[in-house]
Amino acid sequence: MQISRKLDTVIGKKWFNKTWYSFIVLFFLFIIITPTVYVLSYSVTHGDDLQKYVFSDTKSITLSWNRSGDVNFSKYEIHTSSISDFEPSNSTLIATIKEANNTNYTLSGLSMDSSSYFKVKTVSKNASAAISNVPQIKSTTISLMPIIINALWFSIAVALVVVVIDFVAGLPLAWLLARKKFPGKRYLDVLVDLPIAVPTAALGFSIAIFWAAIPSEKGILIPFGAASFVSSPFLLVVLLHVAFSYPYMVRSLAAAIEEIDISYEIAAGTLGASPFTVARTITMPLFRGGLATGTILCLARSLSETGATMITLSMLIPLKIENLASTAGITGPALIGTIKQSNFLHLEPALAFISMILIISSILLLIAVKMLITRFKLPTQKVWPRYETLLSRGFVPKLKNASSFIFFFGIVIIPAFFIIGYIFSAKATGVDWATLQYSLLISLIVAAIVTAANLLLGIPLAILIARGKNKKLTATLDTLTDIPIIVPTAALGFSLGLFWRQPIFQPISYELLLIILAHIAFTYPFIVRSVSSAVECTDMSYEETGRTLGAGPLQNFRKVLFPMIKPSILAGAIMTFTRSLDETGATIAVIAKDSKIITAPVYIVDLITKQQSYYPAALACIVLIGVSFISLLLLRYVTKKVK
Amino acid sequence: MAAIRLSNITKRYGSLTAVDDFTIDVKDGEYLTIIGPTGAGKTTILKIIAGLVEQDSGDVFIGGEPVNEYPPEKRSAVYFPQTYSLFPHFNVWENTTFAPRIQGVGEQEISTIGKEMLTMVRLWKRPDALPSELSGGMQQRCGLARALAANASVLLLDEPLRALDARLRIELRYELRKLVKDLNITAIHVTHDQEEAMSISDRIAVIKNGRLEQIDTPQKLFDIPKNPFVANFIGFSNFIEGVIVNKTDDLLTIKGTYDDTIMTNGEFNIGDKVVASIKIEYVVVDKQNEGGPNTFFGEIEDFTFLGKFTTLDVKLDNGRKIVSKLQSTIALSYSKGEKVRVKFPQEKLIAFEYPKFGLIKEVGV
Repeated sequence: MQISRKLDTVIGKKWFNKTWYSFIVLFFLFIIITPTVYVLSYSVTHGDDLQKYVFSDTKSITLSWNRSGDVNFSKYEIHTSSISDFEPSNSTLIATIKEANNTNYTLSGLSMDSSSYFKVKTVSKNASAAISNVPQIKSTTISLMPIIINALWFSIAVALVVVVIDFVAGLPLAWLLARKKFPGKRYLDVLVDLPIAVPTAALGFSIAIFWAAIPSEKGILIPFGAASFVSSPFLLVVLLHVAFSYPYMVRSLAAAIEEIDISYEIAAGTLGASPFTVARTITMPLFRGGLATGTILCLARSLSETGATMITLSMLIPLKIENLASTAGITGPALIGTIKQSNFLHLEPALAFISMILIISSILLLIAVKMLITRFKLPTQKVWPRYETLLSRGFVPKLKNASSFIFFFGIVIIPAFFIIGYIFSAKATGVDWATLQYSLLISLIVAAIVTAANLLLGIPLAILIARGKNKKLTATLDTLTDIPIIVPTAALGFSLGLFWRQPIFQPISYELLLIILAHIAFTYPFIVRSVSSAVECTDMSYEETGRTLGAGPLQNFRKVLFPMIKPSILAGAIMTFTRSLDETGATIAVIAKDSKIITAPVYIVDLITKQQSYYPAALACIVLIGVSFISLLLLRYVTKKVK
Repeated sequence: MAAIRLSNITKRYGSLTAVDDFTIDVKDGEYLTIIGPTGAGKTTILKIIAGLVEQDSGDVFIGGEPVNEYPPEKRSAVYFPQTYSLFPHFNVWENTTFAPRIQGVGEQEISTIGKEMLTMVRLWKRPDALPSELSGGMQQRCGLARALAANASVLLLDEPLRALDARLRIELRYELRKLVKDLNITAIHVTHDQEEAMSISDRIAVIKNGRLEQIDTPQKLFDIPKNPFVANFIGFSNFIEGVIVNKTDDLLTIKGTYDDTIMTNGEFNIGDKVVASIKIEYVVVDKQNEGGPNTFFGEIEDFTFLGKFTTLDVKLDNGRKIVSKLQSTIALSYSKGEKVRVKFPQEKLIAFEYPKFGLIKEVGV
């Protein structure tokens, strides 16, 4: 009490107020926004590299050598240089292979017009052994551009199809939740949110084993009940994205419908309109805002998803650059993840280019959709009473409700949790508990730090946006807040890595810190959005009265504003925590290749796409789902306790 | 000691000037009402005194001390908004003791203050009720208890009775004044209800477009308005536009737009364009047929029955329409279409300079 009163005498000062809010705005601009879009400057600074490694064709080379017969074999080291007769050293090392049987190595992303020389050094446990020049080189040409362009179209097509499906299938369910009373509604309400709490990596694996026509040579046991017929990458990715984005659409639509005063519908009904006509001419035009929110959320989620998409696609074809040239079936973020996992010699230009076009096209697409939704008009003046009455009575509404239930359970809930069936039917082998625990620990640490940082630094910005006196500044900040939501997280992660790895930031570019910064960047808007709208909805006179009754700014926040906006803060914190626990794209893109630090969802992606160890992956999924649920409950409990 | 002085306060929002070079002195313990049409800048003035809005220029003094640099919590002026802003997550007791608690007062004293305040506003039986469980009148009283518990010397009431129904509004306004007077608090009460202002204020400040039009006791405002706007905002007036055609000493002869002639006192010169006004209460209507100065004949067009009083719409023979407010017992002895005599007592006719932007723009009718 005494401390807060003392603090308030300082905080109440104008200079403090100005300094504090300047700090918050600067933090937002330089720690969140600038790194997020920093990659856009790459085209200016590294135009030559783009020209050399992205726009022109690149070479892919497969090296093979003789198997080492050494009993004390430790590893193969692959070295490269532009000089023909070079001495292998640390600076020439590009990869190490620890299996003696593995005598192939494919290297992509080499410039066409330069020559490179390779050596494979076999390292023995006691001493270093023979160095062999690589005898066999198989070289192919890869055109990166067509792959990137295909991936971009694939991403956009998936996102648009997913949004349409979400809307058509989500509207009846949203309507039921918002307007109707029926037994079991409470449970349905909880069930709708459930897929949000399932980390997408786990969801991806679950969806894949439910739907995908997995080639039998993969050796995955398919549990009883799986549909297993989808062999089109496009359809599979759409099914995946619908499963995780559907709840967002239903929630936004239901919230928007609930906000509309039901008396409009009652009035229209008593004026003689059939329920269908009422919905079409009265309610739908009024809830355009909710439609826009839902559409943008789903689009952004779909455009951004990385890990789960990689997992599901890897069930159909191994994710390798060489394979992608022949099949047009990968999303942009998944392409970033794939390149990052591959033996790409010049990673940076390729990733930078994909990130740039992903950022630009996502922003353009969302602006276009937003404009379309606000301009689009339903024909409200024309009514076809006979047909619309028919649509409102008898079996049609029943059919509509039944099919939305079937959709929800058949496309969303059952596939999302199908992994539980797998874990019970598969044989338990090869679980690396140490790495699993380690990756979970990293995930939880990151999520906790990110949530704490967001609460501390996001709430002040939210209050500034809602209560700031300079309307131009607050409107700008408000718009900027959308950027990290719109930018696909893989692109954001890459951009952020590029920013923080600049020489001047050398001392702070630790891997873990980079992961945390990337997660803060893409989750920051959730807290800001949720809190700023809550503050805007709170009558300012509460705070004003509080101040004139003698409360300083800090006391006033603690005693007056905070208790009133607590639910929104909680919602923002939960969103931040789960999204951080869930994230694959940003993490994969920000960490260095072969980084020792790995989060749990990235570990799952690694297990499935690189190591093909499915049982450990499934187990990791189940554990991650469990951890995610438990932390949610804990977070809810803790925030309820803290007053 | 809590006299308030606002000196040359100006506040702009973009191109809109909300408060325009506003100067006012409020005496210690005075109950002052600020009245004006919607958007006149009343709430902004209150918030500037409270420190919730920062003025662009000018100074605020509370108790003789300049408080420009003080944050709201240091000004000892409690803001009381029309919604009362009872904190929804606190019950009556917690709301009432909010101020002493955050001031770090001891538990013993908090309990004493809380009990005293709740007894004073007759809410001591409901300390555990949440604001949402109280009636409108109880909420208002609880808000008042909370404000008074802050031991502030200034109470800033922003339409404190607006959210109540008509009858309760009348009951509570006297209670409000009594509480404030008993505790010797300086109160500034903003309203746009002129009857409310007339009945509880020591003085009333009439403002329009952020400028002070007149500040006076209720009676003086009614009888001696300074301009046509005040004449029609405090009570209703009949206006007669015209030109001075003759002047003897300070007796003016005004030639009206309906070719009628009226006479009154005032400081104008021949040829000046003026507006004469008379409150509807002061217009005499009778059935005599004797003519004279300021006396006209006409017929009754309509009645509006208001209870004890009735207003009459009279159309004079020259075409001018006049409204008169009479006791119903007298007014109802007339019938529609009846010929009557209308007389304007000379001492109640006030001549004003003709408004720069026209009469309609000035009085807003």
